[in-house]
Amino acid sequence: VLHVTRPLHTTQQSLAPLPPLPEKGGEVRHGLIPEEFFQFLYPKTGVTGPYMLGTGLLLYLLSKEIYVVNHESIAAICILSVIIYGVKRFGSDVAAFADKLNEEKVAKASAVKNKAIKDLETAIEMEKKEQWRVEGRGYLFDAKRNNVAMVLETNYRERLLMVYNEVKKRLDYQVAMQNLKRQKEQDHMIQWVEKNVIQSITPQQQKESIAKCILDLKALSKSAQAAV
Amino acid sequence: MAGRRAALKAIDWVAFAERVPPNQRAMFNALKTRSDALSARLAALPEKPPTIDWAHYKAAVAKAGMVDEFQSKFSALKVPEPKDTQTAKIDAQEAEAAKSTAEYVQASKARIAQYEQQLQKLKSMIPFEQMTLEDLHEAFPETKLDKEKYPFWPHKPIADL
Repeated sequence: VLHVTRPLHTTQQSLAPLPPLPEKGGEVRHGLIPEEFFQFLYPKTGVTGPYMLGTGLLLYLLSKEIYVVNHESIAAICILSVIIYGVKRFGSDVAAFADKLNEEKVAKASAVKNKAIKDLETAIEMEKKEQWRVEGRGYLFDAKRNNVAMVLETNYRERLLMVYNEVKKRLDYQVAMQNLKRQKEQDHMIQWVEKNVIQSITPQQQKESIAKCILDLKALSKSAQAAV
Repeated sequence: MAGRRAALKAIDWVAFAERVPPNQRAMFNALKTRSDALSARLAALPEKPPTIDWAHYKAAVAKAGMVDEFQSKFSALKVPEPKDTQTAKIDAQEAEAAKSTAEYVQASKARIAQYEQQLQKLKSMIPFEQMTLEDLHEAFPETKLDKEKYPFWPHKPIADL
């Protein structure tokens, strides 16, 4: 009867992590007898020791009838042989299967852990990148200030240009006006002179000039005929 | 003239573009196009308007004092510079941004510290082959079965199986 008040698993030793599972199970010889037994007898009796011991013991038990052979013995022989056959044939497969089950559990857990680690690392990367991004805010404000300065400068230059254009327009207008007036006066005077000249040609002068023209033409035609 | 040429700082648009997060790219493009349009307009205008040839006009225009009057008025004219109302606002915005940035960086650093802590915990865990079930519950508290809330097996809602 175990007194439940007695504390268990409180020493330092029980808090340590477990040792890892052994890589391979215990070795057996002939499917039943552990290898440790053979190793135990090896220093004293060598390799054949356990076999001699087994055979001698068996013969002694049988011959002295300490072990009586009866129907159960046959059953025992059959069962033992089947067991040994089973262990030898299927032992490694069963062991591999059990290992695989364990492997899968461990792999699942490891996958979760690795993913968590990777996610955390990516998150840290992203945070650092965001910090770096934020440092570039100076660019934004510089750009804004530049824009403002450009607008002001453009405005000022436009104003200067406008002043210049207006003054030039007015001066050009004056000059153009003068030129136009000059031209109109000239044209008018020419027309007036022509009109007066035409008026002053009397009908008498006209007849005289026509007669002179005809005479000239006759003279010219005579000379022309001679040339041809 | 002194206030006029507030020096246009050369902006490295490439470096600026690198730092823009993808969700603000549209705003950045709008800003860039606006800046480019403004600088194109500025480059199209000459710095000083061409000077007026007073001698030519003095010879050409018949009216006596007109050109002289124009000339005197023109040289006396001072074009007022446009007032700068926005730079102060921009500076205020920048100060505010600096403050909010500092807060954000602070929060970000706290988050990084948290992540680092968790990372440390995960990395220094004992390998699964050497864990008992209690060790697993310690490392990943969410695997622990709540025996008070669900006193009967399987100690979690059936839907979670």
